[in-house]
Amino acid sequence: MNECVIDAKNVHKRFGKTKVLNGVDLCVPRGAVVGLLGTNGSGKSTLIKCLLGLLSCDAGDVLTLGEDPWDFTAEAKERLGYGPQEAKLYPWMKSAQIVDYTAAFYPNWDDAWAKELMTRWDVETDKRAGTLSVGQLQKLSLVLALGHRPDLLVLDEPVASLDPKARREFLRSLVEITDDEQHTVLFSTHITSDIERIATHVAFLQDGVISFFGGLDELKEQVKRLRITAKKDLPPTFTVPGALRTEINGRTALVAIPTISDPLLDSLRQEWQADVTVEDLNLEEIFLELHDA
Amino acid sequence: MTSSPLNFEIHPSSGMPIYRQIMEQVRMLVASGKLTAGDYLPSVRQMAGELDINMMTVSKAYARLEAEGIVERDRGLGMRVTNNVPQESAADRKIELREHVEVMVTRAKQLGLTDDQIQAVVKSVLKEWPS
Repeated sequence: MNECVIDAKNVHKRFGKTKVLNGVDLCVPRGAVVGLLGTNGSGKSTLIKCLLGLLSCDAGDVLTLGEDPWDFTAEAKERLGYGPQEAKLYPWMKSAQIVDYTAAFYPNWDDAWAKELMTRWDVETDKRAGTLSVGQLQKLSLVLALGHRPDLLVLDEPVASLDPKARREFLRSLVEITDDEQHTVLFSTHITSDIERIATHVAFLQDGVISFFGGLDELKEQVKRLRITAKKDLPPTFTVPGALRTEINGRTALVAIPTISDPLLDSLRQEWQADVTVEDLNLEEIFLELHDA
Repeated sequence: MTSSPLNFEIHPSSGMPIYRQIMEQVRMLVASGKLTAGDYLPSVRQMAGELDINMMTVSKAYARLEAEGIVERDRGLGMRVTNNVPQESAADRKIELREHVEVMVTRAKQLGLTDDQIQAVVKSVLKEWPS
């Protein structure tokens, strides 16, 4: 798991005066399923495009599948699947034709698998792309991204327009692909529950940098909310070292902390003669705590 | 006997990592005697498939349970409950339940329910379970 399938170092990108990426460092290990989280406009799509050579970055180094994405070889492209946020397909072609057309570019296209996905996800095969609903279009574009069983799959908001049933079917297929721990997936989303089900890792994109990258389990085990009830009123200056957010109300304080430890709890209990309980946070709550600070 | 993935209930959006939820439920199944020495856990693939979660998550839970000595790997057959886990006494199991009840009671009090009302709710939930 030590090898980076995507290796980005100090990536910068600006559009005019707007700095979007401000020194992104990211190593996606082989076999990982990484959920990329960020608020609207945080630069998730820009980052993805820089990682795939669809945008040139202003500064920094990117190696994807061991190559500079700006000069990908055909071999690297064969191993790569990309599902853009908005699929741009020939509107006059029927779904099945678009799949065949795309398949022709890939020597490693798995026709049976692509057909199975279309059945599983209820893709309407004989409708023209121009007449498909947004959800149908998204499913079709996911078939195109997955059809050659790519070693690296990069998906930009893959489930945004899918209904819950289609979303679950899609997640199930993703789990199948990553069965062998050789296939790597990076997907952006703002639906945290999808990430929680299937991701091994999460990356938070915030203020143009990756503010957190690590195992989802580790994240949930480290980031906690403390409910502190002291013997007497807490001063307004009350704080816990490293706190992400502090809310004080009389004798009680709610404090989100990035790393839980027993010595920290012990010292709080002693110093304030306080009752301290530790609350688990789910990914959405952690996301909010990190972005509220 | 092999336990079914249906014995397991996973809440992905809980603050507790999924692998820990699985570990905890295996421990409870063993503690309650529903899984006994020689019983098999569902295969990693079966479990991940049924619960729609990553196989690595299930593997992680099983590996930790193995390290704790609760299950052992039986080559080609899967994870088997060991015979070195004594069934916990009812007293110990009550202590374990207490933590959960404390959380529930706090919530119930916040909702402004009386003791009788809380007990009534617990009883009605118990009724839904086959005894």
